[in-house]
Amino acid sequence: MISLENRRAVIVEDDEWFAEQLATIMKKQGMNCQTASFADEAIAKIDTRLPDVILLDMLLTGSTGLVLLHELQSHDDLARIPVIVCSATADMLEQPMLAAYGVRRVIDKTTMHPDDVLAAVRSVLA
Amino acid sequence: MSTEERYASRVGATPSEKYISDSGFIAAAHELKAPLALIRQLAFQLEDDTVSAAEKKLFASKVRLSAEKALRVTTDLTKAARLEDAMFTLEPVNATAICKEVLYELQEYAASRGKKLQVQAGRSLPPVIANHDLLRRIVTTFSDNALAYGGDTILLDVKRGRDGVVRIAVRDYGPALSLSDYYRIKKQLSRPQAVHARPQSSGLGLYIAHQFAHLMSGNIGIIRHRDGVSFYVDMNASTQLSLL
Repeated sequence: MISLENRRAVIVEDDEWFAEQLATIMKKQGMNCQTASFADEAIAKIDTRLPDVILLDMLLTGSTGLVLLHELQSHDDLARIPVIVCSATADMLEQPMLAAYGVRRVIDKTTMHPDDVLAAVRSVLA
Repeated sequence: MSTEERYASRVGATPSEKYISDSGFIAAAHELKAPLALIRQLAFQLEDDTVSAAEKKLFASKVRLSAEKALRVTTDLTKAARLEDAMFTLEPVNATAICKEVLYELQEYAASRGKKLQVQAGRSLPPVIANHDLLRRIVTTFSDNALAYGGDTILLDVKRGRDGVVRIAVRDYGPALSLSDYYRIKKQLSRPQAVHARPQSSGLGLYIAHQFAHLMSGNIGIIRHRDGVSFYVDMNASTQLSLL
């Protein structure tokens, strides 16, 4: 099983408590996590930190996750970072369209188990 | 006859009942998803044997506060669905006192999110003609919205408006709204949509607030600031005292 020790993640989620839950799950595996509530804040952190993986909620306050994905795709280095979408509206998302924006996995917030997050992270880092 | 009324007449429901049961049904489901998904994740943490007692206490508190937020949504939905047949007494009420009640109700939830509610009221404000419970629901909805999307401080501001109204505004200092979001939310004040507002919200709460305000001859609206948003309700001032 791939180790997540010292891997870097940026969690883009505007519900602070949900973001904390995701961070807790990943920190237990030794990952370094930063959270961002808004797309602008996320871009700044991603640009500075160049994380190994991005966890992204699609419905953000202000600019949506899609705007952020579009921005990431416009930079060669950022476009290569795998994105895992973690959304309460996963069933309404068009996954082929998201794949074109660098989204490698989609997790449904309403049904996910903490292990699903780790499995998704491991799969995109493998 | 509006589209809403024509549609409702075909299925034998009053317009507001039918509209709530269709568009509102989807919006309500979406609105409840976020707190329920969070509660579920917190429950996983509570089941984890490696979590300390102090952390479990914190998680339990978050479960309770998230459940209370979801229950506020269900209370609003129940009231909105029964507006046609329920009797709501309109009487002179003190808007500032209502804001203080909302502050008291939400202060623990606000503090748990690192935020603070403040009430600011003008001097010698007249009472407003309203139903105490419905007006409180409106202010609570605006405040919940601000707590979810605004910055650290939320201001509940009561002041005298134009043309004999008292304006109760909930001002947040979150990210500026884009013009497109502003116009979308303005539209949602009178009609719920499936998903989107300040995007995570369905706009259902605002729609219900509009229904409540309409019942009391009040109006709700939105003001876009450079550093946030104000949602307000204008209520008619009571003239009873001046007639005495």
